[in-house]
Order: sequence, then structure tokens, then C-alpha cells
Amino acid sequence: MQPILALDGVSKSFAGVHALKNVSFDVRPGEVHALMGENGAGKSTLIKVMAGVHAPDSGEIRVNGEVVRFASPREARAAGIATVYQELLLFPELSVAENIFLGHAPRTTMNALDWPKMRNEARRLLDDLDSHDLDVDARVGSLSVANRQRVEIAKALSQDARVLIMDEPTAALADADARRLMDVVRRLRDRGVAIVYVSHRMPEIFALATRVSVLRDGAYVGTSDIGDITEAELVSMMVGRPVDQLFPKANTEIGATVLELRNVGYRDEIENISLTLRAGEIVGIAGLIGSGRTELALTMFGITPATSGEILLDGKPIAITSPKQARDLGIAYVPEDRGLQGLIKSQTIRENLSLSLLDRISTASIINRAKESSLARELIKRFGIRARGPEQRVRQLSGGNQQKVVLAKWVATEPRVLIMDEPTRGIDVGAKAEIHALMSRLAGQGLAVLMISSELPEVLGMSDRVLVMNNGRIVAEFARAHATPDSVGAAMMQTQTLAEVA
Amino acid sequence: MTATLRSLLRHETILAILLVIVLAALATQSDRFFTTANLLNQGRLMTEVGLVALAMTFVIVTGGIDLSVGSILGLTAILLGVFWHNLGLPLPAAMVLAVLAGGIGGLINGLIITRFKVPPLIATLATLALYRGLAEGISQARSVRGYPEWFFVLGQGEVWGVPTQLWILGVLVVIAAVVLGLTTFGRATYATGANETGARFSGIGVDRTKMLIYTASGLVAGVAGVIFVSRVSTTRSDMGTGLELDVITAVVLGGTSIFGGRGTIIGTVLGLILMQALKNGLALSGVKGDGTIVVIGLVLILAIVASNIFSREGDG
Repeated sequence: MQPILALDGVSKSFAGVHALKNVSFDVRPGEVHALMGENGAGKSTLIKVMAGVHAPDSGEIRVNGEVVRFASPREARAAGIATVYQELLLFPELSVAENIFLGHAPRTTMNALDWPKMRNEARRLLDDLDSHDLDVDARVGSLSVANRQRVEIAKALSQDARVLIMDEPTAALADADARRLMDVVRRLRDRGVAIVYVSHRMPEIFALATRVSVLRDGAYVGTSDIGDITEAELVSMMVGRPVDQLFPKANTEIGATVLELRNVGYRDEIENISLTLRAGEIVGIAGLIGSGRTELALTMFGITPATSGEILLDGKPIAITSPKQARDLGIAYVPEDRGLQGLIKSQTIRENLSLSLLDRISTASIINRAKESSLARELIKRFGIRARGPEQRVRQLSGGNQQKVVLAKWVATEPRVLIMDEPTRGIDVGAKAEIHALMSRLAGQGLAVLMISSELPEVLGMSDRVLVMNNGRIVAEFARAHATPDSVGAAMMQTQTLAEVA
Repeated sequence: MTATLRSLLRHETILAILLVIVLAALATQSDRFFTTANLLNQGRLMTEVGLVALAMTFVIVTGGIDLSVGSILGLTAILLGVFWHNLGLPLPAAMVLAVLAGGIGGLINGLIITRFKVPPLIATLATLALYRGLAEGISQARSVRGYPEWFFVLGQGEVWGVPTQLWILGVLVVIAAVVLGLTTFGRATYATGANETGARFSGIGVDRTKMLIYTASGLVAGVAGVIFVSRVSTTRSDMGTGLELDVITAVVLGGTSIFGGRGTIIGTVLGLILMQALKNGLALSGVKGDGTIVVIGLVLILAIVASNIFSREGDG
């Protein structure tokens, strides 16, 4: 079948840096073509070229076989190419219907907005996406991320899109919502829409895609039918070298109990949490978003101090009332939201790395800049942070390298307990493997690690023990040998009934 | 020199060049401008704004603002008179108490902002009215005069040929520059302004930092109040009205970002000198008061636009 959208030998550079080098790519009606590559590989640039945001320096774009030049995103949309970006571009104060038809609302003969038609059309579009429960009059700001995304997709489709580009649509979604989104994608595919699908989640790619193309360092590496390639082959295409092991969990000796929680609660968000963390042990917490996982971490780190129960460090009762105190006690937290909580993005790598241990590199409050710089250089090397140097601003780094900065800054405080919340969310496979290896090495050095993750394979692959949270409580605990996708998944999904599983 | 420092100094460099141009231009306009006597006298006149601007730099770097400084200055001036004249306290004790009262005013600002999460603009807008009202209520429109001769050394005297208060300003400039530029407290200040949540999650005592800064802001406004009284020999309740606008202008002119996270003491000092030079030089050249304000406004816009154009780097 003829491709509906084809790129041939497209190159694009910004200020002399090649973002895309001679890339060819096409997508046919009724297929899902996955686009993969590490962060910085050029996926975003390629998407923006297709969406008319960037004009290519050389090479051509063809729609239905005809060469086109998009001067603006508007022209690309008029040609039937719609894009759903990672950051949703909706107006929170407007209703669902208003958002869908913003800029191209149906008009009456008097040229006034045709409200009934707008609402009916919005309803029809959402029903097509199997979203019968979504109210067209709801304020978008009141919707969940998953629902906002459906609105964004409906908005793209409202302009008769024949090509739909989706940039990491499931990155911010919990498993159940991600599965529902995948159903929507299949439905669109079956209706003949050509879909370009960017994602880091391997299982999704193998479940959805017809073909997969890989970019690396701005260059086109190859395209394959999904049936002809294995996960390991795909990863090595992206990384450019074979990746030995997906979850490099080393067997380490598990030592004494470091931190113990007894019936800890915070308001009505988490209740009756009892757990122990031992030196050298990685404890994974599985659970849906909203199950209280992050709330537990925030309580352990002193952001929301416990309102009931006891916390013991080395068997001695302690109270954790602020992050500063948690840090001084040797508890580190690599937070869920890197950009907001983990880093000061406008500052340099050096400033970020030293922020949690300023006291240690200063004498009488005066910061020793030489010490600070050598600390930063050492951490950059030890954690394999790819950067121009300690003075580069953190916001210029890729997601994976930013995450390594957060991890490095906390490991540098020499904690005894390391809590990691979604440690690999939104980062590419190469960096992900490095972070897993680091985690394993840290546990080997005797750290007690508590890892929270929405990715079940990660929890199962990395943990010595898996705790399942549901509705603010720990509902099940599995030893590594007994933790299977089925058993853990079932405990995550069960409603209300508490299970006592060994 | 490091990249950060270089990018931070960029605005200061532009400002320094601008300052040289302005000084040269003003010197050609009036032969009374570029004289030692006039320049030292200008230094005397800008000290109160300068002192408060140092603390304001910290406040604005945290992403906050303190509009109440002028009112605190007025209140401490009145309290100085009340403590000494009405309560009969020895003048040195009255001076210390007045400055402490300024600190308490700042502490209250800090409490409102950190404990009750009121935006600094609103909180200090409210205390601007509150403290000014207190000053007027206490003074009952009476002024206090007749301070002893030694007290005027502070505001009218000289030490080694330089106005006394310029020495105080000089010492505080050095302290403020060291604290903001080189210490852990300075780093906490920048981190708080650049990303408050991130700073908190890194174990920085964000609330403590802010409390200290607003308290310091009140304290230096108190010091400025005492110097003001000594300079003009009298105490009135309307002293320091509108001071906050001059202070904020100097700080922002000096390159401190009103959104927080960026700014230096060197910049503030340059901004302060530039502003004072324009005021004085234009007055000497025969420009009327309203004309001067227009020029200062234009220079402010020019400086900000220029530094925006030249410091695009690093925002990728």
C-alpha cells in the first residue's frame, strides 16, 4: 500500500548541530508505525518536521505521493496530519467541547458559535474513542491526565486527521489507563488512520506496532516488521551495542534492619503501614497511581510527617518532620517529579549536585568552591552523566542524564536508606539499564533501597521483596521467588478486600 | 572564571558600561556634577535606599518582594523619637530598640508569608499600610527635634573625609556580597528562588531562609530609619514614603530577576549608583523632577531589554 506520509532523506540542524541526518520514514493508512530511539536520538525533531513545526534543511516530505512543504503546523493539520504531544496543550478553564473545537468551531448561518452542533460533534468524537463516560461540558482542568489525553486525541481527530502522531502518549498514565489508550489506538488504526507512535515502553510497542523504526544520534538505523525482531535486538539497535541484561539484579547479602515502620499513617492518605528495610535489600512497591505509594515516600522523607505510628532507625524510635532532618538521618528520596522536586533546572550540574550536602563542603558556612567542583566532576564520572562539564545547566540535559544527577546528588549524601520514586520514568532504555545497574550496585554496598514503580517488570526484575499498595495500605507482600505478574497484578487491582499473602 | 559567574556578570558588565557613559555625559552637562564634594554628598543621600536594597536583593532572589520597607523606616524613625523623647530612654538604647522594632516588623512579614502562605506582594502590601498607620497613630503628627550633637555624626558627619553612613553601607555591601555569593545561606537563597519545591526536597530549610531574609530586611530598614533621622535632624511619620519603589528599581536595574533565582549584590550596587547619578546629574543639568523620573524609567527598561538580548545563552 502506498504510504500516506513519507519523508525522504530529511536533514535538519540547529546552530550547526545535526539533529537529523538523512532520515527516511513513512507511514501507511491502517498501520501503527513505532518510532524508537534514546532521548536525543532525534525523535522529537522528526515529529516536529512531520507536524510542520520545523522545516527540513534538505530532503522532501510527501503526502499521498505529492511533495509538500509545510510553512506552519496549521498547513500540516490542513493536510490531515495531527499531533498529540507529550505535554498536552489544552486550556484547563475551557470545557471539553470548547477545547476540541478551539480554532475551528462550527458556526451558524449568523456566524455565531453553533453550540448544540459543537457539543454533539464532541460527543460523537468521544464516543468513537470509546469514552462514553466523558462529559463534553466538563472543565478540562478537572479531568484526569488519561481523560485529558482523550480530549487531545479527539481534538486531533476533529480535523479529519489521516495521520496521527503520538509522542509518548502513555508516559504519564497508569497501567489501566495505558491499556485503555492502546485500545483507542487500535480502534483508530482499524479505521484506516496512519499512526506514528513514540514510546519507551517495549511491551506496548510489541502489542501495537505493525512496523518499528529506530533512530540513533539523529541518524536512521533501520526499520523492521515487528514480527521479525526481538526486544533485545531492538534495544541494541537503539543503544548501538548489545545490552547484556535487562534487569541486572545482583544477589547481595542482606544485612540488619535499618529502617522500620510500625503502623504508620498520614491523615487518611496512608494507614497502618508496617514495613522493614534491611541493608543491601531492594524492596519494590507496586501499586496503581493513587494507591498511596508516593504518599508513603513523602511521609518517610518528612514532607508530610507521620500522624500516627512509629518509625525506628536502627531500632531507635525517631520522628521525621522535615526533609532536612530525613537527610541528616541518612534517608534520601529520589522524587517522582524530576523537574519540580528533584532538580533546580535553571542551575548548573555543580550547584545541583552539592545542594543536599552544602554543609559538608563548607567551612564556617563559606562554600569551598574547589571542593564543590571536584565533587561534581567526580560524581559526573562515577554516574556516567553525559554533559559538557559541571557548569552545564541541568535543563539542557536529557531526561536520563537529569535522573542520574538526582540520583548522584542523593547518593553523595551517603544515605543509609534510598527511596526511589519512579526512578526510570520517561527515560530511554540505555539510561534505564544504567540506573538499574547503579541501583543494584548501591544495594550491594549495603544501602537499603525502597523502589516505587508503575512498571511491573521493573518492580519484579529489581526487587528482593515486593510490597503491594492499594488504597493507602500495604495489601500484600511477596518474596522475589513468589512475585509474578499475575500475583502482584491481582493484589494491585483488587478492590477493598485485604489479602494476607506470605 | 566559571561559566555561571560569567553569565551572571554579563548584566553587571552592561550596567557598568552604561554607568560610565552616564557619568561622562552628566559630567559634560554640569561642571558641578563631577566634583568630590558633590559625589560624596550623593553617596550620603543614597545610603538609606542602598542599605535597604541590599536586603531587598535577597528578598527578590527568593522570588519574593518586600513593599513594607518604607513604612518600617517611617515606623522606626517615629519609635526612635518616642523611646528617647517621650519615654526618656538614653538615645543609644532608643536607637537599638528602634532598629529591633524594625526587625520585628520584618519578622512579622516573614511569619505571614511562611506560616500562612500569603504571597509576599499581598502580605507586605498589607503591612505597608499597617506600619505606616502605626507610625502616624503613634506620632499624632508631631515631630521630634532637638537630638544631641553627637547623634548627627551618623547622618551628617564624616570619618576620614567620607560620610559616616557610607562606611556603614560599604561594610554591609561586603557582608551581603559574601553571604549571597559564597555561603551556604546564599546558595539556599538562590535555590529557593529558582525552585522552591526542589529546594525543599533537597533538604534546604526554605521557610527558615525566608524568615531570616524578611527579618533582615526589617532590620536594615530600621538602621536606615535611624540614619535618616540623623541626616535630617528630625522625626516625622511620613519618612520613607515611596522608598520601596526606589529600592526595587535599584535592585531590578542591577539585574536581579523579579521571578527569583538570579541576582547579585554587585549588580544592585551598580544599579543604585546609576540611579542616584541620574537623579543628581539631571537635576544639576536643569531637568525638572518629573523629567528625572521619566529618564530613570527609560533607563530601567533599556537595561533590562539589553541584558535580555545579550544573555539568551544558557536557556536551551
